[in-house]
Amino acid sequence: MTPEVPAVLAEMAGLLMRTASPGAPDAERTSALTLSSMLLMVAAEVWDAAAQNLVQENRAIAELLGDHSLESDLHLSVLRAENSRLRAELIAAHIIAENAGDQIRQDAIWAELRASTDRRRLSISLV
Amino acid sequence: MSHPLEARLARYIETQMPEASDIEVSQIERISGGASRETYRFVLNYRQDGAAQTRRLILRRDPPASLIDTDRRIEFAAYRAFYGSTVPVPRMLWLEEAETALDHPFFIAEELTGFQTAPQLLFAGGYDKVLAKVADRKWSILGQIARADPAALGLTSVMASPGVDECWRRELDHWEHIFDTDEAEPQPIARAAIRWLRSNPPPPAQKLCVVHGDYRTGNFLFDQEGEIHGVLDWEMAHLGDPLEDLAWGFNPIWEFGRGLAGGLVPQDQAIAIWRKSSGLIADPAALHWWTLFNCVKGQGIWVGSARAFIDGGNKEPIMVYAAWWLLNAQDRAILKVMGRL
Repeated sequence: MTPEVPAVLAEMAGLLMRTASPGAPDAERTSALTLSSMLLMVAAEVWDAAAQNLVQENRAIAELLGDHSLESDLHLSVLRAENSRLRAELIAAHIIAENAGDQIRQDAIWAELRASTDRRRLSISLV
Repeated sequence: MSHPLEARLARYIETQMPEASDIEVSQIERISGGASRETYRFVLNYRQDGAAQTRRLILRRDPPASLIDTDRRIEFAAYRAFYGSTVPVPRMLWLEEAETALDHPFFIAEELTGFQTAPQLLFAGGYDKVLAKVADRKWSILGQIARADPAALGLTSVMASPGVDECWRRELDHWEHIFDTDEAEPQPIARAAIRWLRSNPPPPAQKLCVVHGDYRTGNFLFDQEGEIHGVLDWEMAHLGDPLEDLAWGFNPIWEFGRGLAGGLVPQDQAIAIWRKSSGLIADPAALHWWTLFNCVKGQGIWVGSARAFIDGGNKEPIMVYAAWWLLNAQDRAILKVMGRL
Protein backbone atom coordinates (compact mmCIF):
# COMPACT_ATOMS: atom_id res chain seq x y z
CA MET A 1 0.00 0.00 0.00
CA THR A 2 1.01 3.58 -0.55
CA PRO A 3 2.21 5.26 1.67
CA GLU A 4 4.09 2.22 2.97
CA VAL A 5 2.90 0.65 6.20
CA PRO A 6 6.12 0.98 8.26
CA ALA A 7 6.34 4.73 7.62
CA VAL A 8 2.70 5.16 8.56
CA LEU A 9 2.99 3.10 11.75
CA ALA A 10 6.05 5.09 12.81
CA GLU A 11 4.21 8.36 12.26
CA MET A 12 1.17 7.06 14.13
CA ALA A 13 3.33 6.05 17.08
CA GLY A 14 4.51 9.64 17.39
CA LEU A 15 0.99 10.98 16.94
CA LEU A 16 -0.41 8.69 19.63
CA MET A 17 2.31 9.72 22.09
CA ARG A 18 1.58 13.39 21.45
CA THR A 19 -2.15 12.79 21.75
CA ALA A 20 -1.71 10.91 25.03
CA SER A 21 0.13 13.79 26.68
CA PRO A 22 -1.86 15.83 29.26
CA GLY A 23 -1.37 19.03 27.24
CA ALA A 24 -3.00 17.74 24.04
CA PRO A 25 -6.08 19.82 23.14
CA ASP A 26 -9.31 17.81 23.38
CA ALA A 27 -10.34 19.18 19.99
CA GLU A 28 -7.47 17.36 18.26
CA ARG A 29 -7.65 14.17 20.32
CA THR A 30 -10.90 12.75 18.91
CA SER A 31 -9.87 13.29 15.32
CA ALA A 32 -6.38 11.81 15.81
CA LEU A 33 -7.58 8.73 17.71
CA THR A 34 -10.48 7.96 15.37
CA LEU A 35 -8.38 8.08 12.23
CA SER A 36 -5.48 6.24 13.86
CA SER A 37 -7.76 3.36 14.84
CA MET A 38 -9.07 3.16 11.27
CA LEU A 39 -5.52 3.02 9.91
CA LEU A 40 -4.56 0.29 12.38
CA MET A 41 -7.50 -1.79 11.19
CA VAL A 42 -6.38 -1.48 7.56
CA ALA A 43 -2.77 -2.30 8.44
CA ALA A 44 -3.96 -5.38 10.36
CA GLU A 45 -6.01 -6.53 7.37
CA VAL A 46 -3.20 -6.37 4.82
CA TRP A 47 -0.39 -7.67 7.06
CA ASP A 48 -0.57 -11.42 6.49
CA ALA A 49 -1.05 -11.45 2.71
CA ALA A 50 1.25 -8.56 1.79
CA ALA A 51 4.28 -10.58 0.67
CA GLN A 52 2.17 -13.30 -0.94
CA ASN A 53 0.22 -10.78 -3.03
CA LEU A 54 3.34 -8.96 -4.18
CA VAL A 55 5.11 -12.17 -5.19
CA GLN A 56 2.00 -13.37 -7.01
CA GLU A 57 1.57 -10.07 -8.83
CA ASN A 58 5.24 -9.69 -9.72
CA ARG A 59 5.32 -13.19 -11.17
CA ALA A 60 2.13 -12.59 -13.18
CA ILE A 61 3.44 -9.36 -14.69
CA ALA A 62 6.90 -10.84 -15.30
CA GLU A 63 5.30 -13.69 -17.21
CA LEU A 64 3.33 -11.22 -19.35
CA LEU A 65 6.52 -9.31 -20.07
CA GLY A 66 8.67 -12.39 -20.68
CA ASP A 67 10.84 -11.38 -17.74
CA HIS A 68 12.30 -14.51 -16.15
CA SER A 69 14.14 -12.99 -13.20
CA LEU A 70 13.24 -14.68 -9.88
CA GLU A 71 12.92 -12.90 -6.59
CA SER A 72 15.76 -13.66 -4.19
CA ASP A 73 14.92 -11.15 -1.47
CA LEU A 74 11.48 -11.33 0.15
CA HIS A 75 11.62 -8.10 2.13
CA LEU A 76 8.43 -6.19 1.39
CA SER A 77 10.41 -3.08 0.45
CA VAL A 78 12.36 -5.07 -2.17
CA LEU A 79 9.22 -6.74 -3.51
CA ARG A 80 7.49 -3.36 -3.76
CA ALA A 81 10.42 -1.83 -5.63
CA GLU A 82 10.31 -4.73 -8.06
CA ASN A 83 6.56 -4.31 -8.38
CA SER A 84 7.00 -0.66 -9.35
CA ARG A 85 9.64 -1.60 -11.93
CA LEU A 86 7.39 -4.24 -13.45
CA ARG A 87 4.25 -2.04 -13.47
CA ALA A 88 6.19 0.72 -15.24
CA GLU A 89 7.23 -1.82 -17.88
CA LEU A 90 3.63 -3.02 -18.10
CA ILE A 91 2.49 0.51 -18.95
CA ALA A 92 5.05 0.62 -21.76
CA ALA A 93 3.95 -2.81 -23.02
CA HIS A 94 0.30 -1.69 -22.91
CA ILE A 95 1.04 1.35 -25.08
CA ILE A 96 2.90 -0.80 -27.60
CA ALA A 97 -0.02 -3.23 -27.77
CA GLU A 98 -2.50 -0.36 -28.29
CA ASN A 99 -0.41 1.20 -31.04
CA ALA A 100 -0.05 -2.18 -32.75
CA GLY A 101 -3.77 -2.91 -32.47
CA ASP A 102 -2.88 -6.18 -30.70
CA GLN A 103 -6.21 -6.92 -29.02
CA ILE A 104 -5.18 -10.27 -27.57
CA ARG A 105 -2.19 -8.70 -25.87
CA GLN A 106 -4.31 -5.78 -24.61
CA ASP A 107 -6.91 -8.19 -23.20
CA ALA A 108 -4.20 -10.12 -21.36
CA ILE A 109 -2.86 -6.91 -19.82
CA TRP A 110 -6.34 -5.76 -18.81
CA ALA A 111 -6.97 -9.17 -17.23
CA GLU A 112 -3.86 -8.82 -15.09
CA LEU A 113 -4.78 -5.24 -14.14
CA ARG A 114 -8.22 -6.42 -13.06
CA ALA A 115 -6.61 -9.27 -11.07
CA SER A 116 -4.28 -6.79 -9.40
CA THR A 117 -7.25 -4.85 -8.01
CA ASP A 118 -8.71 -8.11 -6.68
CA ARG A 119 -5.46 -8.83 -4.81
CA ARG A 120 -5.36 -5.34 -3.34
CA ARG A 121 -9.03 -5.11 -2.48
CA LEU A 122 -9.84 -4.25 1.14
CA SER A 123 -12.90 -5.44 3.03
CA ILE A 124 -13.99 -1.78 3.26
CA SER A 125 -13.58 -1.18 -0.49
CA LEU A 126 -16.32 0.97 -2.01
CA VAL A 127 -16.04 -0.74 -5.43
CA MET B 1 -7.65 22.58 28.18
CA SER B 2 -8.10 25.62 25.96
CA HIS B 3 -6.90 25.31 22.38
CA PRO B 4 -3.84 27.38 21.41
CA LEU B 5 -5.75 28.83 18.46
CA GLU B 6 -8.44 30.42 20.64
CA ALA B 7 -6.45 33.42 21.81
CA ARG B 8 -4.95 34.04 18.37
CA LEU B 9 -8.35 33.83 16.71
CA ALA B 10 -9.78 36.30 19.21
CA ARG B 11 -6.96 38.78 18.49
CA TYR B 12 -7.60 38.46 14.73
CA ILE B 13 -11.35 38.94 15.08
CA GLU B 14 -10.73 42.07 17.18
CA THR B 15 -9.10 43.62 14.12
CA GLN B 16 -12.13 42.73 11.99
CA MET B 17 -14.78 43.89 14.47
CA PRO B 18 -13.52 47.20 15.89
CA GLU B 19 -17.05 48.10 17.01
CA ALA B 20 -17.20 45.03 19.30
CA SER B 21 -15.67 44.57 22.75
CA ASP B 22 -14.95 41.69 25.17
CA ILE B 23 -14.27 39.36 22.23
CA GLU B 24 -13.75 35.77 23.34
CA VAL B 25 -13.27 32.55 21.35
CA SER B 26 -14.11 29.22 22.98
CA GLN B 27 -15.19 25.60 22.34
CA ILE B 28 -12.90 25.25 19.33
CA GLU B 29 -13.29 21.77 17.85
CA ARG B 30 -11.51 20.14 14.93
CA ILE B 31 -13.89 18.68 12.34
CA SER B 32 -12.57 15.32 11.16
CA GLY B 33 -12.00 14.63 7.51
CA GLY B 34 -11.09 18.07 6.25
CA ALA B 35 -8.07 17.13 4.16
CA SER B 36 -7.79 20.12 1.85
CA ARG B 37 -8.19 22.66 4.63
CA GLU B 38 -8.03 22.25 8.40
CA THR B 39 -11.61 22.88 9.50
CA TYR B 40 -12.63 23.95 13.02
CA ARG B 41 -15.90 25.08 14.55
CA PHE B 42 -15.86 27.55 17.42
CA VAL B 43 -18.02 29.91 19.45
CA LEU B 44 -17.49 33.68 19.33
CA ASN B 45 -18.78 35.77 22.26
CA TYR B 46 -18.61 39.57 22.28
CA ARG B 47 -20.47 42.72 23.30
CA GLN B 48 -21.85 45.23 20.84
CA ASP B 49 -24.13 48.22 21.42
CA GLY B 50 -24.29 47.21 25.05
CA ALA B 51 -25.62 43.72 24.36
CA ALA B 52 -23.92 40.32 24.69
CA GLN B 53 -23.75 38.41 21.39
CA THR B 54 -22.90 34.80 20.52
CA ARG B 55 -22.09 33.43 17.07
CA ARG B 56 -21.07 29.95 15.96
CA LEU B 57 -18.38 30.15 13.29
CA ILE B 58 -16.18 27.97 11.08
CA LEU B 59 -12.44 28.39 10.52
CA ARG B 60 -10.96 26.92 7.34
CA ARG B 61 -7.17 27.11 7.47
CA ASP B 62 -4.65 25.94 4.86
CA PRO B 63 -2.53 23.01 6.05
CA PRO B 64 1.24 22.88 5.30
CA ALA B 65 0.44 20.63 2.31
CA SER B 66 -2.99 19.69 1.10
CA LEU B 67 -4.84 16.80 -0.47
CA ILE B 68 -6.02 19.38 -2.99
CA ASP B 69 -3.82 22.40 -3.64
CA THR B 70 -6.16 25.23 -4.43
CA ASP B 71 -6.46 28.97 -4.02
CA ARG B 72 -8.59 29.77 -0.97
CA ARG B 73 -9.49 33.09 -2.63
CA ILE B 74 -11.37 31.19 -5.34
CA GLU B 75 -13.16 29.04 -2.78
CA PHE B 76 -14.11 32.13 -0.78
CA ALA B 77 -15.35 33.91 -3.93
CA ALA B 78 -17.48 30.93 -4.96
CA TYR B 79 -19.20 30.80 -1.58
CA ARG B 80 -19.80 34.55 -1.65
CA ALA B 81 -21.16 34.42 -5.21
CA PHE B 82 -23.93 31.99 -4.33
CA TYR B 83 -24.84 33.34 -0.88
CA GLY B 84 -28.52 34.30 -0.81
CA SER B 85 -29.29 32.45 -4.08
CA THR B 86 -31.17 29.19 -4.75
CA VAL B 87 -27.85 27.44 -4.07
CA PRO B 88 -27.62 27.38 -0.26
CA VAL B 89 -24.18 28.16 1.16
CA PRO B 90 -22.89 29.48 4.47
CA ARG B 91 -22.14 33.19 4.78
CA MET B 92 -18.48 34.08 4.39
CA LEU B 93 -17.08 36.64 6.83
CA TRP B 94 -13.34 37.20 6.47
CA LEU B 95 -10.58 35.99 4.16
CA GLU B 96 -7.01 36.30 5.44
CA GLU B 97 -4.21 35.48 3.03
CA ALA B 98 -1.29 36.65 5.18
CA GLU B 99 0.40 34.07 7.42
CA THR B 100 0.92 36.32 10.40
CA ALA B 101 -2.37 35.77 12.23
CA LEU B 102 -2.64 31.96 12.26
CA ASP B 103 0.56 30.77 10.50
CA HIS B 104 -1.31 29.86 7.30
CA PRO B 105 -3.97 31.59 5.16
CA PHE B 106 -7.55 30.99 6.27
CA PHE B 107 -11.11 32.18 6.08
CA ILE B 108 -13.93 32.38 8.60
CA ALA B 109 -17.61 31.72 7.88
CA GLU B 110 -20.85 31.40 9.78
CA GLU B 111 -21.66 27.85 10.82
CA LEU B 112 -24.94 26.35 9.61
CA THR B 113 -25.95 24.46 12.73
CA GLY B 114 -28.28 21.56 13.36
CA PHE B 115 -27.60 19.66 10.12
CA GLN B 116 -25.58 16.64 9.08
CA THR B 117 -23.11 15.85 6.29
CA ALA B 118 -21.94 12.25 6.84
CA PRO B 119 -23.00 9.71 4.18
CA GLN B 120 -22.64 6.97 6.81
CA LEU B 121 -25.40 8.64 8.82
CA LEU B 122 -27.57 9.33 5.77
CA PHE B 123 -27.44 5.65 4.79
CA ALA B 124 -27.77 4.17 8.29
CA GLY B 125 -31.54 3.69 7.98
CA GLY B 126 -32.93 6.73 9.77
CA TYR B 127 -33.18 8.75 6.59
CA ASP B 128 -34.48 6.08 4.19
CA LYS B 129 -37.88 7.78 3.81
CA VAL B 130 -36.30 11.04 2.66
CA LEU B 131 -33.52 9.77 0.39
CA ALA B 132 -35.60 10.53 -2.72
CA LYS B 133 -36.15 14.05 -1.42
CA VAL B 134 -32.41 14.47 -0.77
CA ALA B 135 -31.75 13.30 -4.33
CA ASP B 136 -34.28 15.75 -5.74
CA ARG B 137 -32.74 18.64 -3.81
CA LYS B 138 -29.17 17.49 -4.54
CA TRP B 139 -29.48 17.43 -8.31
CA SER B 140 -31.89 20.38 -8.46
CA ILE B 141 -29.30 22.53 -6.68
CA LEU B 142 -26.57 21.25 -8.98
CA GLY B 143 -28.78 22.25 -11.91
CA GLN B 144 -29.04 25.74 -10.41
CA ILE B 145 -25.25 25.94 -10.20
CA ALA B 146 -25.07 25.01 -13.89
CA ARG B 147 -27.78 27.52 -14.75
CA ALA B 148 -25.97 30.42 -13.03
CA ASP B 149 -24.15 33.04 -15.11
CA PRO B 150 -20.47 33.12 -14.02
CA ALA B 151 -19.99 36.69 -15.22
CA ALA B 152 -23.09 37.97 -13.42
CA LEU B 153 -21.80 36.30 -10.25
CA GLY B 154 -18.49 38.11 -10.62
CA LEU B 155 -16.58 34.84 -10.89
CA THR B 156 -14.97 35.47 -14.28
CA SER B 157 -12.68 37.95 -12.54
CA VAL B 158 -11.24 35.30 -10.19
CA MET B 159 -11.54 32.11 -12.27
CA ALA B 160 -10.01 31.33 -15.67
CA SER B 161 -12.54 31.24 -18.55
CA PRO B 162 -11.58 28.52 -21.03
CA GLY B 163 -13.34 28.24 -24.38
CA VAL B 164 -16.16 25.71 -24.48
CA ASP B 165 -14.03 23.48 -26.70
CA GLU B 166 -11.08 23.69 -24.30
CA CYS B 167 -12.75 22.63 -21.05
CA TRP B 168 -12.00 18.93 -21.30
CA ARG B 169 -8.36 19.34 -22.31
CA ARG B 170 -7.68 21.92 -19.61
CA GLU B 171 -8.96 19.61 -16.89
CA LEU B 172 -7.31 16.48 -18.27
CA ASP B 173 -3.94 18.27 -18.62
CA HIS B 174 -4.19 19.48 -15.06
CA TRP B 175 -4.90 16.08 -13.55
CA GLU B 176 -2.44 14.20 -15.73
CA HIS B 177 0.19 16.61 -14.48
CA ILE B 178 -0.74 15.64 -10.91
CA PHE B 179 0.11 12.04 -11.78
CA ASP B 180 3.39 13.11 -13.38
CA THR B 181 4.48 15.01 -10.30
CA ASP B 182 2.89 13.12 -7.41
CA GLU B 183 2.55 9.40 -8.13
CA ALA B 184 4.63 7.31 -5.74
CA GLU B 185 4.25 4.18 -7.86
CA PRO B 186 3.23 3.55 -11.49
CA GLN B 187 -0.52 3.78 -12.16
CA PRO B 188 -1.15 1.50 -15.17
CA ILE B 189 -4.96 1.65 -14.90
CA ALA B 190 -5.23 5.44 -14.60
CA ARG B 191 -2.64 5.91 -17.34
CA ALA B 192 -4.62 3.66 -19.70
CA ALA B 193 -7.76 5.65 -18.90
CA ILE B 194 -5.95 8.93 -19.65
CA ARG B 195 -4.84 7.58 -23.04
CA TRP B 196 -8.44 6.59 -23.83
CA LEU B 197 -9.74 10.00 -22.77
CA ARG B 198 -7.27 11.79 -25.04
CA SER B 199 -8.13 9.55 -27.98
CA ASN B 200 -11.89 9.98 -27.55
CA PRO B 201 -12.54 13.64 -26.59
CA PRO B 202 -16.06 14.81 -25.72
CA PRO B 203 -17.97 17.45 -27.69
CA PRO B 204 -17.56 21.11 -26.65
CA ALA B 205 -19.42 22.16 -23.52
CA GLN B 206 -22.98 23.39 -24.08
CA LYS B 207 -21.99 26.54 -22.18
CA LEU B 208 -19.32 27.69 -19.81
CA CYS B 209 -20.63 27.12 -16.29
CA VAL B 210 -19.58 27.30 -12.68
CA VAL B 211 -18.29 23.85 -11.76
CA HIS B 212 -18.32 23.10 -8.02
CA GLY B 213 -15.69 20.42 -8.58
CA ASP B 214 -16.52 18.15 -5.61
CA TYR B 215 -20.32 17.96 -5.66
CA ARG B 216 -21.13 14.65 -4.04
CA THR B 217 -23.03 13.10 -1.17
CA GLY B 218 -21.02 14.10 1.89
CA ASN B 219 -20.41 17.67 0.79
CA PHE B 220 -23.80 19.13 1.65
CA LEU B 221 -25.75 19.68 4.88
CA PHE B 222 -29.06 17.83 5.15
CA ASP B 223 -31.86 17.62 7.71
CA GLN B 224 -34.40 14.99 8.82
CA GLU B 225 -36.90 16.10 6.15
CA GLY B 226 -34.39 15.62 3.32
CA GLU B 227 -33.86 19.33 2.74
CA ILE B 228 -30.37 20.56 1.86
CA HIS B 229 -29.24 23.65 3.77
CA GLY B 230 -25.70 24.20 2.59
CA VAL B 231 -23.36 23.15 -0.21
CA LEU B 232 -19.81 22.88 1.14
CA ASP B 233 -16.23 22.27 -0.01
CA TRP B 234 -15.91 24.58 -3.00
CA GLU B 235 -12.11 24.35 -3.01
CA MET B 236 -12.01 22.86 -6.53
CA ALA B 237 -14.53 25.29 -8.03
CA HIS B 238 -13.72 26.53 -11.52
CA LEU B 239 -15.42 27.42 -14.79
CA GLY B 240 -15.95 24.57 -17.24
CA ASP B 241 -18.31 21.99 -18.72
CA PRO B 242 -21.48 21.47 -16.62
CA LEU B 243 -21.33 17.74 -17.37
CA GLU B 244 -18.12 17.59 -15.35
CA ASP B 245 -20.07 18.40 -12.18
CA LEU B 246 -22.92 16.04 -13.00
CA ALA B 247 -20.49 13.20 -13.75
CA TRP B 248 -18.39 13.68 -10.59
CA GLY B 249 -21.28 12.28 -8.60
CA PHE B 250 -21.39 9.26 -10.93
CA ASN B 251 -17.85 8.20 -10.05
CA PRO B 252 -18.68 4.72 -8.63
CA ILE B 253 -16.73 5.61 -5.48
CA TRP B 254 -19.52 8.01 -4.55
CA GLU B 255 -22.17 5.31 -4.73
CA PHE B 256 -20.85 4.29 -1.29
CA GLY B 257 -21.36 0.64 -2.22
CA ARG B 258 -25.15 1.06 -2.69
CA GLY B 259 -25.30 0.75 -6.49
CA LEU B 260 -27.15 4.06 -6.79
CA ALA B 261 -26.01 7.49 -7.98
CA GLY B 262 -24.67 9.23 -4.91
CA GLY B 263 -26.06 6.27 -2.95
CA LEU B 264 -29.50 7.82 -3.45
CA VAL B 265 -31.37 7.04 -6.69
CA PRO B 266 -30.76 5.36 -10.08
CA GLN B 267 -28.51 7.42 -12.34
CA ASP B 268 -31.20 8.11 -14.96
CA GLN B 269 -33.41 9.60 -12.25
CA ALA B 270 -30.59 11.88 -11.09
CA ILE B 271 -29.98 13.01 -14.67
CA ALA B 272 -33.68 13.79 -15.18
CA ILE B 273 -33.74 15.99 -12.05
CA TRP B 274 -30.61 17.82 -13.17
CA ARG B 275 -31.89 18.34 -16.73
CA LYS B 276 -35.15 19.83 -15.48
CA SER B 277 -33.35 22.21 -13.15
CA SER B 278 -30.47 23.23 -15.40
CA GLY B 279 -32.30 23.36 -18.72
CA LEU B 280 -29.29 21.54 -20.23
CA ILE B 281 -28.93 18.17 -21.90
CA ALA B 282 -26.79 15.22 -20.81
CA ASP B 283 -25.46 13.53 -23.94
CA PRO B 284 -24.74 9.91 -22.86
CA ALA B 285 -21.38 9.67 -24.65
CA ALA B 286 -20.20 12.99 -23.26
CA LEU B 287 -21.42 12.05 -19.81
CA HIS B 288 -19.49 8.77 -20.03
CA TRP B 289 -16.33 10.67 -20.97
CA TRP B 290 -16.72 12.99 -17.99
CA THR B 291 -17.50 10.09 -15.65
CA LEU B 292 -14.28 8.34 -16.63
CA PHE B 293 -12.43 11.64 -16.39
CA ASN B 294 -13.74 12.09 -12.87
CA CYS B 295 -12.49 8.64 -11.92
CA VAL B 296 -9.05 9.75 -13.10
CA LYS B 297 -9.42 13.03 -11.23
CA GLY B 298 -10.40 11.13 -8.09
CA GLN B 299 -7.30 8.97 -8.44
CA GLY B 300 -5.22 12.12 -8.88
CA ILE B 301 -6.53 13.38 -5.55
CA TRP B 302 -5.68 10.12 -3.73
CA VAL B 303 -2.24 10.02 -5.39
CA GLY B 304 -1.66 13.60 -4.23
CA SER B 305 -2.77 12.68 -0.75
CA ALA B 306 -0.18 9.90 -0.55
CA ARG B 307 2.50 12.22 -1.91
CA ALA B 308 1.80 14.92 0.70
CA PHE B 309 2.35 12.33 3.45
CA ILE B 310 5.45 10.77 1.88
CA ASP B 311 7.14 14.14 1.35
CA GLY B 312 6.31 15.23 4.89
CA GLY B 313 4.23 18.18 3.82
CA ASN B 314 1.22 16.85 5.69
CA LYS B 315 1.50 13.93 8.12
CA GLU B 316 -2.17 13.99 9.16
CA PRO B 317 -3.73 10.49 9.34
CA ILE B 318 -6.46 11.55 6.90
CA MET B 319 -3.86 11.83 4.15
CA VAL B 320 -2.98 8.16 4.61
CA TYR B 321 -6.53 6.97 5.10
CA ALA B 322 -7.70 8.59 1.87
CA ALA B 323 -4.91 6.85 -0.04
CA TRP B 324 -5.20 3.44 1.64
CA TRP B 325 -9.00 3.37 1.45
CA LEU B 326 -9.46 4.73 -2.05
CA LEU B 327 -6.46 4.17 -4.36
CA ASN B 328 -7.39 0.59 -5.25
CA ALA B 329 -11.14 1.25 -5.08
CA GLN B 330 -10.68 4.09 -7.54
CA ASP B 331 -8.75 1.78 -9.88
CA ARG B 332 -11.71 -0.59 -9.72
CA ALA B 333 -14.05 2.31 -10.44
CA ILE B 334 -12.03 3.15 -13.56
CA LEU B 335 -12.24 -0.49 -14.69
CA LYS B 336 -15.99 -0.49 -14.05
CA VAL B 337 -16.61 2.67 -16.10
CA MET B 338 -14.42 1.32 -18.91
CA GLY B 339 -16.40 -1.94 -18.89
CA ARG B 340 -13.43 -3.99 -17.74
CA LEU B 341 -14.41 -5.03 -14.23
